[in-house]
Amino acid sequence: MAVVAQLIINGLIAGSIYALVAAGFSLIFSTNKFMHFAHGSSVVIAGYLLFTFFSLWHIPFYLSCLLTVVLTGVLGVVLHRFVYLPLEKKNASTVVLLIASIGLLMLFQNLLQIIFSASVKTIGYVQVAQGVSLFGASITPLQIAIILLSFFLLILLYWFMKYTALGRNMRAIADNKELAEIIGIDHIKVASLSFFIGSALAGIAGILIGLEQNVYPTMGTMLIVKGFTGAVIGGIDFVPGSILGSYLLGLIENIGIWFIPSGYKDALSFALLFIFLLFRPQGLFGINKGVRK
Amino acid sequence: MIMLEITNLHAGYAGLEVLRGIDISISPNEIVALIGPNGAGKSTVIKSIFNISDVTSGSIVYKGEEITDLHTHELIDFGISYVNQGRVIFSNLTVRENLEIGAELIRDRHVVEKNLSHVFRKFPVLKRKAGQLAYALSGGERQQLALGRALMQNPSLLLLDEPSLGLSPKLQKELFETISQLREDGLSILIVEQNAKKAIQIADKTYLLEDGKIALSGGKDIIKHEKIKNVYLGGRY
Ligand SMILES: Nc1ncnc2c1ncn2[C@@H]1O[C@H](COP(=O)(O)OP(=O)(O)O)[C@@H](O)[C@H]1O
Ligand SMILES: [Mg+2]
Repeated sequence: MAVVAQLIINGLIAGSIYALVAAGFSLIFSTNKFMHFAHGSSVVIAGYLLFTFFSLWHIPFYLSCLLTVVLTGVLGVVLHRFVYLPLEKKNASTVVLLIASIGLLMLFQNLLQIIFSASVKTIGYVQVAQGVSLFGASITPLQIAIILLSFFLLILLYWFMKYTALGRNMRAIADNKELAEIIGIDHIKVASLSFFIGSALAGIAGILIGLEQNVYPTMGTMLIVKGFTGAVIGGIDFVPGSILGSYLLGLIENIGIWFIPSGYKDALSFALLFIFLLFRPQGLFGINKGVRK
Repeated sequence: MIMLEITNLHAGYAGLEVLRGIDISISPNEIVALIGPNGAGKSTVIKSIFNISDVTSGSIVYKGEEITDLHTHELIDFGISYVNQGRVIFSNLTVRENLEIGAELIRDRHVVEKNLSHVFRKFPVLKRKAGQLAYALSGGERQQLALGRALMQNPSLLLLDEPSLGLSPKLQKELFETISQLREDGLSILIVEQNAKKAIQIADKTYLLEDGKIALSGGKDIIKHEKIKNVYLGGRY
C-alpha cells in the first residue's frame, strides 16, 4: 500500500511539473498554431537564471525567483517578436516555424553548455530534507510545495482564461484568428501576451525542478518532450486538456515502473506519445473542428 | 450627404486584380445591395472597405474621410462593422462572450451593457442561450449571433456578406425583415447577396457586379431589366 501511495505521489510531483510546461506550450500553440519547442529552453534558462541570481550573485531567494520568472516571460516575447513574427511575415509555413523552434532549443542548449559547462549545477536553496510521511509514503516539504503551487497556478490560469477579457480574447484567437481580427482584436498583442504567460509558467517549472533536482543544459529538451506528450495526451490546443494529460502522464510513468523496470520510464512516455499521435491526435479532451469531443 | 463613396476602386490579392475600377455610393439610412455571380468580386468589395484585400488605386471615403489605409480598429471606431461570409462565430466561446467580444473596443462598461440588452431584445433566443457554447446554435441562430456581434459595435454602416446563404426560406424571410428593421433603426447597410430577388426588394439601390466591374445599377425597378430577369432571377447560384 505504501508503495502505491509513493508511486502516486511521485506521479503527482512529475505531473505538476509537466503540467506547468504543457499549459504554457498549449497556450502558445492555441493562439499561434505552431509548436514552440523552444519552450523547453524557457524551462532550462529559468533554472540557470535562478542559479546565477541566487547561487552566484547571492540575490535574495524570492527576488531571484521573481526576476527569473519575469525574464523568462520576456524571453518568450522576444522570441515571438524577433524570430517567429518575422518568419510569419514572410509567410513561413508552420513546418518552418517548427524547425526554427527546434533550432532555438538546440542553440540555447549549446549556449548554456558553453557558458556554464555541461556539468550539473546545484542551486542549494533547499537543504536535503527529511520527508514527511503521508499514507505511508514519504514526501519532502519542497515536493508538497511543488504540487500545491502548480495546482494553484493552473487554477489561476484557468480563471484568467475563463473570466478575464484578455483570456477570452486568447480563446477567441485560438478559435478563429480571422474573425478575431475583423472585430478589432490585435492578434499580435494577444499572441505576445500568451508567449509571456506561457514562458513565465515554464520559468516557474524550471525553478521548481531546479530546486528539486539540479540544473543541467539538456534538461529543457527532456522537459519539453514530456510537456509535449502531456499536451498531446490531453489535447494540444486545449489548455485544461493538456494540463490533465500531463498529470495523467506523470501518474502513468510512475505507476508504470511498478510493472516495468524504471529505466524504461521515458520509453513508456514515448510509446504513449506515438499511440496518441497515431490514433487520437486531438487528444482525450481536444477540440476537433469546433466540437469538444 | 453621402455615407460611403467608393470611386474607381482597383483591388485584389497580392498581384491578382479582382476589382477593375468600380464606383459605389451609399447614403445614410440606405440599404445598398451588391449582387452578381460567384467569383465576381463581391466579397472583395467589402474586404476592400475593411482594408483586408489590397487596394491598388481609387478611393474609399466614409463621412468625408479617406479610409483606404485605416486599421480595423479605427474602422470600427468610425462606425463600420463587418459580418463576413459563412455565419462565422467563435464556436468555443459562449453566446454572451461572442457578443461581448464584439464590443471589445468599447471601454465604457455601461455602453456595452446597453448594447447587450439591445441585442438581446432584438434576438431573444440569444438571451435564452447566452450561457451556452456557440457551436450548439442552429444556422439561423448563428446568423443572429453574427449580426448581434456586429451590432455590439454601435455601427452606422453595416457590411453584410451573403447573410442568407444556406438558410431555409423561412429563416431567410426573417433575416431580411431583421435587416429592413435595422435600417429603420437608422443604420446604413451594404449587403452582398446571392438571393438577387430578395436583395433587390429590400434595397434602395442595387449594383450588379460582373467580372470585377459594375455591369448595372439602379433602384427597385432594376428587377425589370432584361439582364436581371434572364440571368439572375432564373434561379440562384
Ligand atoms: N484571399 C484571396 N487570395 C487570392 N484570391 C482571392 C482571395 N479571395 C478571393 N480571391 C479571388 O478573387 C476573386 C473574387 O472573389 P470574391 O470577391 O470572393 O468573389 P464573390 O464574393 O463575388 O464570390 C475570385 O476569383 C477569387 O478566387
Ligand atoms: Mg463572396
